[in-house]
Amino acid sequence: MGVIELLEGSLWTLSVCIFVVFGLWRIFVILTAGRSPTQARPVGSPRGGAVRAIFGHFLPRRAFLGQGRVWFVTIAGYAFHIGLFALLFFAAPHVAFLRDHILGFDWPALPRWGFIIAAQFAFTGLLALWVRRFVDPVVRLISRPDDHITTGLTFLVMLTGCMALGEQSVTLRGIHLGFVEAWLIYFPFSSLMHTFTWPLSRGFTGALAGRRGTRM
Amino acid sequence: MTAHTKPLPPKSFDQQGDVPDAVRVASAMEGFLSEFGPRASSYLNACVRCGLCAEACHFHLATGEAKYTPIHKIKPFEKAYGQLQGPFSWIKRAFGIAPTVSIAELREWEELIFDSCTLCGRCTMVCPMGIDIAELVKEARHGMFQAGLLPDRLAQIAGNAKTKHSPFGAPADFVEAIQAIEAEFSIRLPLDKPKADLLLTLAPGDLDEHHQSVVGLARILDSLGIDWTLSSVAFEATNFGYLSGDTQLQGELTCRLIDKAREIGAATILLPECGHAWGALRWEAARWYGAPIDDIRIMHTLELLAERIQAGDIRLRPVGESATFHDPCQQIRRGGLGWAPRVVLKTLGMELRELENTQETSFCCGGGGGVLANTRAAPLSLQAFEIKRKEVEATGAAHFVTSCGQCRLQFDRSRKETDWDKEVESLLELVAANMITD
Amino acid sequence: MCVAFAGLVRKASLMLLVTMMFLVVAVEHGAAQGTAPPFPSQSGPENTLGDQSDSDIWRAIRQGGGGLPGSSEVTDGVLINADGVWWSQLRRPAGPLVRFGSIGIATVLAAIMVFFVARGRLRIDGGRSGRMVARFSLAQRVVHWVMAVVFLLLGFTGLLLLFGRAFLIPIVGKTAFSIIATASMQAHNLFGPIFIVSLVALFITFLRGNSPSFSDLKWVVRGGGMFGGHASSGRYNAGEKAWFWTATIAGIALSVSGLVLSFPDVLGTHDLLHRAELLHAIAALVFVGFGIGHIYLGTIGTEGAIDGMISGDVDENWARTHHDLWLDDMKATKGGAADGRD
Repeated sequence: MGVIELLEGSLWTLSVCIFVVFGLWRIFVILTAGRSPTQARPVGSPRGGAVRAIFGHFLPRRAFLGQGRVWFVTIAGYAFHIGLFALLFFAAPHVAFLRDHILGFDWPALPRWGFIIAAQFAFTGLLALWVRRFVDPVVRLISRPDDHITTGLTFLVMLTGCMALGEQSVTLRGIHLGFVEAWLIYFPFSSLMHTFTWPLSRGFTGALAGRRGTRM
Repeated sequence: MTAHTKPLPPKSFDQQGDVPDAVRVASAMEGFLSEFGPRASSYLNACVRCGLCAEACHFHLATGEAKYTPIHKIKPFEKAYGQLQGPFSWIKRAFGIAPTVSIAELREWEELIFDSCTLCGRCTMVCPMGIDIAELVKEARHGMFQAGLLPDRLAQIAGNAKTKHSPFGAPADFVEAIQAIEAEFSIRLPLDKPKADLLLTLAPGDLDEHHQSVVGLARILDSLGIDWTLSSVAFEATNFGYLSGDTQLQGELTCRLIDKAREIGAATILLPECGHAWGALRWEAARWYGAPIDDIRIMHTLELLAERIQAGDIRLRPVGESATFHDPCQQIRRGGLGWAPRVVLKTLGMELRELENTQETSFCCGGGGGVLANTRAAPLSLQAFEIKRKEVEATGAAHFVTSCGQCRLQFDRSRKETDWDKEVESLLELVAANMITD
Repeated sequence: MCVAFAGLVRKASLMLLVTMMFLVVAVEHGAAQGTAPPFPSQSGPENTLGDQSDSDIWRAIRQGGGGLPGSSEVTDGVLINADGVWWSQLRRPAGPLVRFGSIGIATVLAAIMVFFVARGRLRIDGGRSGRMVARFSLAQRVVHWVMAVVFLLLGFTGLLLLFGRAFLIPIVGKTAFSIIATASMQAHNLFGPIFIVSLVALFITFLRGNSPSFSDLKWVVRGGGMFGGHASSGRYNAGEKAWFWTATIAGIALSVSGLVLSFPDVLGTHDLLHRAELLHAIAALVFVGFGIGHIYLGTIGTEGAIDGMISGDVDENWARTHHDLWLDDMKATKGGAADGRD
């Protein structure tokens, strides 16, 4: 049982540290890059614009609803993200793990059927989006190796997690934990960071639009 | 779609100057990041390659080609960031896995950065991350300019702006053109007044083809009793430094106008019906002075018309009939003036039939961002024009109106190519023609 | 409620349990079984034998007498299912299902290898032309590959569950296999519903062009051109149509039986579950066997075939070799242009 103790002990600590330290470092570097030009006298509120863009970009604008790919990416994207969010924070083993190892408190977990449904959505969304990376000429052209690695790692984390759902085998839990740790270590160096950078990106554009009295 | 062969790698590119390839690459890398800041950095760290930007780009939609996916157009720029400035670039360099950019890549991307992007910013509207790709392409142009990898025609026009004062020509050419317009329309255009409240600037298109716009502006300003002047040394509204990626020239052209206005005590600089002039002067002038321009109002013709109509200073004869309006990207989506043309058209008594894609999500004319001037891109922008043409025809409106001289030139050129008889009208000229003068 | 008695003396508790179940059945069925009296209200654990002997009780259960077992999710009231013996025989590690199933899969693999050695890759007549014809839409490609991934995941985990006891335990041992088996079962159950959604999507996106026609007969007679010569075909040839309909029917069988197996407590009785599992296994073997052939012909078996499923475009000469009627159709209806996407 040496491996499982390592996975639950020092390796877990190490990967969380890498995740936190390098993640923060990356945000810091983003926000201190180069220089910001002096801005023009505003017409509207940059802050208001930022808030509007941060929320406004959750859904595609009406002008793009005629396009199949916009629907596809939006639906598959939401299926995956909502499903993953539910799994990550509301799966019973995760709630217990977070309580015991990190937070010290817990909250109501999903019932088993809820977990299964969330997993279905997450897997279907992720698979559909990943498959599209190979067969859609546009996404095929712009996909970086990192995009495949992040998707693949996330897929394996989810798959091993579901395989350990019986909660009977230490080995299966260990495999899942191992992939989670690999994922955490890879996270700050990859496009998984969009988990934290999306409000920055939307916010900057929104601030620009707010300043100019338009909506972008 | 016809039975098609695999596209050949593009081999056409232009380059200026005579320097070794290695120097070009090094200059490009430096130039790419010359104006880089937290904004662009956030963008590059947020993209997940969903490819939705392609769904917004008129060049992609018109051709179906994957290479016209907006985020793909900045690949060398992104690589430069990854190599030199990204959060872990030092680790990547230490391990020898930092991305590199080749001269071949830069040459290949010249078309994508200059010919197939009009800086219209429509892609931002669909981006789940709200990434302003137009801004990134603009910053990518900084590097391409440093490397001497511009379309020749754009380089030539930017060169004219630098050496002769304006793409249109030297001050003497300008004076000559103004006198010709004065003679043609029996009108007096004040030039080089030592003091004036308003400095009027013009675009080369106004001096070449759209004389009615110049005359219309002059009549409107006169009827409003404004003390205005033209300047033979600060007349150029367009900014080819902004379009070509020459930041130094962009600054010079900007400061020339601001400084002149300050010199003659003008409280207002009036920009003509032009798109990128608004972006360059109104929204970017501050960076050259390190402070917002608070003493001078940089005003667009659209604003002048709408504000004075709302104030009752300009009274109009109702035209009636139906009209559709093309929203110039830099004025509306990226400029915040979407309200203005609608006020004007309403006062003209025109029934506004909006295009299918309007205001912030309007399609570009296909000629913005220097693409109109870059004549080698004409076949591509002609394909993009089809989208607009279909939208205009779908409205069935009697008038097709816009408020940008560059858009009009682009439409006129495309109209000729496609034998489309729909005249494109200037909003300013419509106002001037229907103004009630006492 | 049965669990509450678990701590009692072994025999006494068993007998009490059985008696209680008997009672439940008797009340439910409304028919008196033998002469069993009502539960004596004054009796405690020491008086549980009642008026019946053990053998009477067991006989009754054996013949289908019901009750509520404490350890199963299936609540159809069957304690010992004597009718399940045939299923148990069939399903044993050394039983016919595993034996014939593995022979079937092995035969498919062997046949493909023999074919590959004998015939080699099916080449494009005249080589590639460089002109591309659009064949599969983006939606078709995405749906196809989602199904492909789901097929692989379900196929691997399913085969492990079916053949694992026979073939894997001797290699990895029982402990390791128990881990593999629970993992496989969880993954298999999880991807099942995704399979159903994918199957529906696949059916909708690929239906057009898959209805049987007269030219299919000629294609079959010519051996599909797989043994030399040319066999004309429309958008899909008879082999592909057979695959489409086999996948559809086997897929429906897998979906229905899989659902029953996933929700035994709601949907199943023991008999139904046995039949569902048998149907599930047979349909899966057909699906997997056909699928292996499809994978071979779609990748290394046929030059240029994979292009259509990746980029969506195929070489014009490929189309002429394998789907000449479809190509002619495209050229005729689209005025010389060729776009065969749905």
